[in-house]
Amino acid sequence: VLRASLLALIGATVAAIAVAPLSAQPPRPANPPDIAGEWTLTNNEEDTTAQPPLGDYLGIPFNAAGRQRSDTTAESIWGTPEYQCRPHSAPHQWRGLGGARILKEQDPLTREVKAYHIQFMRSLDWPVFMDGRPHPPAWAPHTWTGFSTGEWIGNTLKITTTHLKDGYLKRGGPQTSDMYSMTDYLTRHDDVLTIVTSVDDPIYMDEPYVESTTYTIDLTSNVAMETCNGTAFAENGGTDRHHVPHFLPGQNTALTEWLKKDDWIPVEPTRGGVVTMYPEYHAPATGASNAASLTVPASKTAIDAAKSIGGQSPRDGQVHILPVQGNIYMLIADGTNVTVSMGPDGVMLVNTGAASMSGKVLEAVNQLANQTVMPPAPNSCFGVNCPGAWGWASPYMNAIISSPAPPRPIRYIVNTSAAPEDVGGNAQIASAGFFPRGASFGRAVESIGRHASIFAHENVQIRMADAPAASQPTDTFFDEFQKLPEYFNGEAVILYSAPAANTDGDSFVYFRHSEVISAGNLLSSVSYPVIEVDRGGSIQGVIDGLNRILDLAVAEYRGQGGTWVIPGRGRLSDTADVASYRNMMTMIRDRVKDAIARGMTLAQVKASRPTLDFDPRFGSTTGPWTTDMFVEAAYKSLQEKQ
Amino acid sequence: MRTSLFLAVAVALATATGAYAHHSYAATYDITREVTIEGKLVQFVYRNPHSFVHVVAANANGGSERWAVEWSGTTQLGNAGVTKESLKVGDVVVITARPSRVAGEYRALMLRLKRPSDGFTWGSPGQQVD
Repeated sequence: VLRASLLALIGATVAAIAVAPLSAQPPRPANPPDIAGEWTLTNNEEDTTAQPPLGDYLGIPFNAAGRQRSDTTAESIWGTPEYQCRPHSAPHQWRGLGGARILKEQDPLTREVKAYHIQFMRSLDWPVFMDGRPHPPAWAPHTWTGFSTGEWIGNTLKITTTHLKDGYLKRGGPQTSDMYSMTDYLTRHDDVLTIVTSVDDPIYMDEPYVESTTYTIDLTSNVAMETCNGTAFAENGGTDRHHVPHFLPGQNTALTEWLKKDDWIPVEPTRGGVVTMYPEYHAPATGASNAASLTVPASKTAIDAAKSIGGQSPRDGQVHILPVQGNIYMLIADGTNVTVSMGPDGVMLVNTGAASMSGKVLEAVNQLANQTVMPPAPNSCFGVNCPGAWGWASPYMNAIISSPAPPRPIRYIVNTSAAPEDVGGNAQIASAGFFPRGASFGRAVESIGRHASIFAHENVQIRMADAPAASQPTDTFFDEFQKLPEYFNGEAVILYSAPAANTDGDSFVYFRHSEVISAGNLLSSVSYPVIEVDRGGSIQGVIDGLNRILDLAVAEYRGQGGTWVIPGRGRLSDTADVASYRNMMTMIRDRVKDAIARGMTLAQVKASRPTLDFDPRFGSTTGPWTTDMFVEAAYKSLQEKQ
Repeated sequence: MRTSLFLAVAVALATATGAYAHHSYAATYDITREVTIEGKLVQFVYRNPHSFVHVVAANANGGSERWAVEWSGTTQLGNAGVTKESLKVGDVVVITARPSRVAGEYRALMLRLKRPSDGFTWGSPGQQVD
């Protein structure tokens, strides 16, 4: 309770700083305090390791979803291949042992600090940009350190961090979603640096969680680095590399073990919750607490969760372009993603978006094509003996007098499903392209039509049998995978079937040199996957498809980046994001399976809310794909397997 | 004085090695239970922050399971005389360990290890994974 009171006091202070009008804030000092150097962790409100016992959520303003997410997460998740090299989560970094290093990056022209770089033992470099740059759009990827900007408020450096991945609030249990933002206030007094951190997670908490940590300057310390030396070997035993450790709701019996020793603490506040954090709250060891009747001045989250999630896949009638890696670009096209491979061989699209967006998708593709056309090379050699001169007198003349060649055409379209938002633009966009199919001897190519080739699993073609001919696949495959017959834009492109996933015809596409996977509808950062059981879909098929992606993908460093994964809808993702989505699907599958095994009807399963801890992030009560529909699809597909 | 300093450094290193751990032991393992694993060692990963041994042991169904048993870091093991050469692939070992809190998981935290062929043991009083 003492801790809760202290947190409340700090929270009020931070809130006061945060809401103070700009005019009332002290101006940026001409010479801000120098916070660079090596710092040693001194103390915080808890013990120095900030590793509370399992089930200790004291002082955390959890909502029901956050509480259940933490209860059902097993610590051995850190032994799975996708988790082993991860750094500490951002909220824990200041609490982790090993010290902190703060470096200054200066503008070479003005020598102003344009960024701070903060490093911990188990971290990546954390840049804090001071040059006024904006935060990235919502469809940009999230990382362990997120994207941070800083500003001086008097002698306090305020750091605002967005685009963070999901992880833990504290070691050993309390979890965060991937939608939280973090605000750090760094204040230096002589040799002491005080950091007040506010974690605002609109998915799992009812108000921001506030903590403070103190560091002391240490001229002799040197921040250590822990290397990752355990990649992907089976720390959890067994031979199932896709094993996802977790507890079914209500079956984590270890949550109150610690109270056997600290038996003076009532259970209720250990479960967290905003009411329990305030001094007015009373929970006697025996008798009823006053939680139900208490009204507290909850400061609320500053983040509109629905708006933030929706922003990852905006339905704004526009096409936004995000360069991904190598040849690959992601088009965010009014609620659907289109993947573009652009290069000397031409253009390949994975899906074409809704029919209404075809014009704007083509505009964006043309814009990209024109930007990536190589201009003629200027003359660097004179005379007929220059390499590649072919005997011309002035081989580089065209480099001076001509404009660039027109961009290469759209040659391939891949449909990862028959969903309208994936194939809607086929007819218009394919007809704007050209795949040079060989004509018969003596006949022109035009005689068989000028049209991009449309690849898909053969079940997509069957689903589209009644669609206009111009929008139907021209080439189909039926096997586990289909390689394109030759390199396209300098790389292998492989289509993988995802049997019985969202439907019976889904696939994903792997660009093997660019290291990008276009995941189709297997992955969405804005919703549960759409599973059409009556079209052959199943929750197990979606999990299998996600596991297949994880088998192919490789993280660049510390479990993030590397192979980028473009979801059917939502923000650009990587292996960590796919693993989180796979874990969620596995947890929900196991909950529904368990309910079926216990003889529960569909109505009973829905009422038990097997998706409770994921609903604020991925659920919906309205629109074309509601949580109820998802649970029903999971239930039916698992029931059919029995 | 020199001995005291050495001890202080050793304690500090041992503490640091434990602190580097990414996960919480108490949250990962059921510290109220023990399991015995008898089988053939197939992998010994001698490393920091923690070492691991993999043992293939028979299960009740006549098949086998691959267990991953978490052990101390190299500093602690080295102080106890355990080197990367101490165990060989193919060794038959008997391990007493704390099981994972997740039912059905073949993961455990080392309490005691014995190699019957020569009596090599680890896990005497004072030797525990930190």
